[in-house]
Amino acid sequence: MTSKSQSQSTGKPKTPASATADLERGYRMMMLPAVLAVGIFAIVPLAGMLALSVSDYHLIRGTNWDFGFKNFVKLVSDKRLMNSVYAMSILSFLGVALQVLIGAAIAVGLSKIVGKWRLGRIFFLLPYAVPHVAVALIWLSLFTPILSPINAFFDLFGVTVPSFLTTQYGALFAIVLADTWTNFPFAMLIILAALQGISPDLDEAAALDGATRVQTFFYVTLPLLVPAFLMVTLFRFIDSLKHFPMIFVMTKGGPGRSTQATNYYAYIQTFQNSNVAYGAAIAVTLFIVAAFISFYVARLNQQVNS
Amino acid sequence: MIDNTSSYRVKRALGTTMMLVLLFFAALPTVWVLIMSLREQSVMFEPFWESPLAVTLDNYLGITRSEFPKALLNSFICAGISTLLAMIVGVPAGFALAKSRLSGKFYASWMLLLLRMAPPVGFVIPLFLLYINAGLIDSYFGLIMAYMTLTLPLIVWLMWNSFAQVPDELIEAAIMDGASLGKAFILVALPVARPGAVAAAILGFLIVWNDFFYALIITRSSTVTAPVAVMNFISYDSVDWGSIAVASIALTLPILPLMLVANRYIVQSLSGAVKG
Repeated sequence: MTSKSQSQSTGKPKTPASATADLERGYRMMMLPAVLAVGIFAIVPLAGMLALSVSDYHLIRGTNWDFGFKNFVKLVSDKRLMNSVYAMSILSFLGVALQVLIGAAIAVGLSKIVGKWRLGRIFFLLPYAVPHVAVALIWLSLFTPILSPINAFFDLFGVTVPSFLTTQYGALFAIVLADTWTNFPFAMLIILAALQGISPDLDEAAALDGATRVQTFFYVTLPLLVPAFLMVTLFRFIDSLKHFPMIFVMTKGGPGRSTQATNYYAYIQTFQNSNVAYGAAIAVTLFIVAAFISFYVARLNQQVNS
Repeated sequence: MIDNTSSYRVKRALGTTMMLVLLFFAALPTVWVLIMSLREQSVMFEPFWESPLAVTLDNYLGITRSEFPKALLNSFICAGISTLLAMIVGVPAGFALAKSRLSGKFYASWMLLLLRMAPPVGFVIPLFLLYINAGLIDSYFGLIMAYMTLTLPLIVWLMWNSFAQVPDELIEAAIMDGASLGKAFILVALPVARPGAVAAAILGFLIVWNDFFYALIITRSSTVTAPVAVMNFISYDSVDWGSIAVASIALTLPILPLMLVANRYIVQSLSGAVKG
């Protein structure tokens, strides 16, 4: 502590050091209810999940108190788990890629629009407001051949649209499309905000230096958008690991097991096969993946904020 | 002007076409659900352009006589109360996390993010077993408590970001003037962070309103929320598409204004990380 700050503190009842300590105690009191609540509502269930994952708990048979890592050993050789990871990967990578691409394209398009058409962005925002169950039901209707206006439209030209939901990749694609429809506005919002944060002076400077519009876009604008792209991709990717309503409503994991993504597979094992311990082990595995990604996001966030 | 070259005009036309195609993709399901909701039951499976006048409000009237309005009310109750509780606990915590010099704040931010990102199936399995044994299945109390696992980490995180943008000097000046920390929080910091608080409450409400998974597992009949109740229009051998369309609209309309208000905060909720 410098002598200056000491001289400032003379005449006050408390030294700065003890005032700071008081303040910190106050802050901790304000955190306490949230810490307790998070402890009760989140940490307790998580601890329960960990305990279940190393148990042999079965919804009907109960438990023999036989603890061990055999659920995790079983995971490694479970073909259905591998199948679920494959389905999840397709849903995640394809879905996120499409959402980011479409979101970026619309953001770039909208950023060029000025005047009264600016309100047009509301039309692009609308799908984001529709709850996922409704999204899934609407797309289920569009993929139901006897009902869908798309099928009826192509029938006019004698073209029969195949039934997507009855084939493996068709069903995966249908879910990707529904997911893309409702989530591209998220990517659009973030990228649009980043675009608007770029000073127009930069574009002008590039133009003065003789850069074409395309060059300006690729060498000036795009590099400045990288943080936004990274954030959108990470957040959407993490969300896509949680795929549930669309699978439940549109395909029920089918045809066969081809759209049983991992989160859905954990649900099937737990609530349909009553194999709670095994379902918990799958959930723990997913949780570890989420822990790694969120650690990376938290670090990224810290770097940008400091 | 270079801008009037034909290659520029071609590119412009391509860009406009692309935007129109994407607009069609964005609008088609919305328009289709409106059409479906107005179709007569008997012509549901005919192309709508063949019987454009077979329009009826029966689907809308039918919904009001079903269990669905009660489910919408349940959704309101659960989303409202769990958001309110999370705000009461989470707003002071967000302020404290933003302004305290506590070490280990990075780990707090990691944990908040992880709780938001963790697969819900991990929370639901232990909760389900607990609720079965405690008789909390299909109770408002149980459902609202379960939703706190969704709202609380989100609201603390958002409020942390909001309060981080309130200048430290404001708080310090208030405390120098003799205000207690509580007063500095309520009278100085909170008014500045109010837009952020409104956004946090809206986003908390939306996350519960949209939930399907928790409600599917821990509700049965009396506390069923709207996203789960829609599934009642699908029976083993038939699907009531007209009612599904109306229910989808009813699920979306109440939150549409919230979404329009909140959309710019969704960007901010990812904090400064996207400022580029």
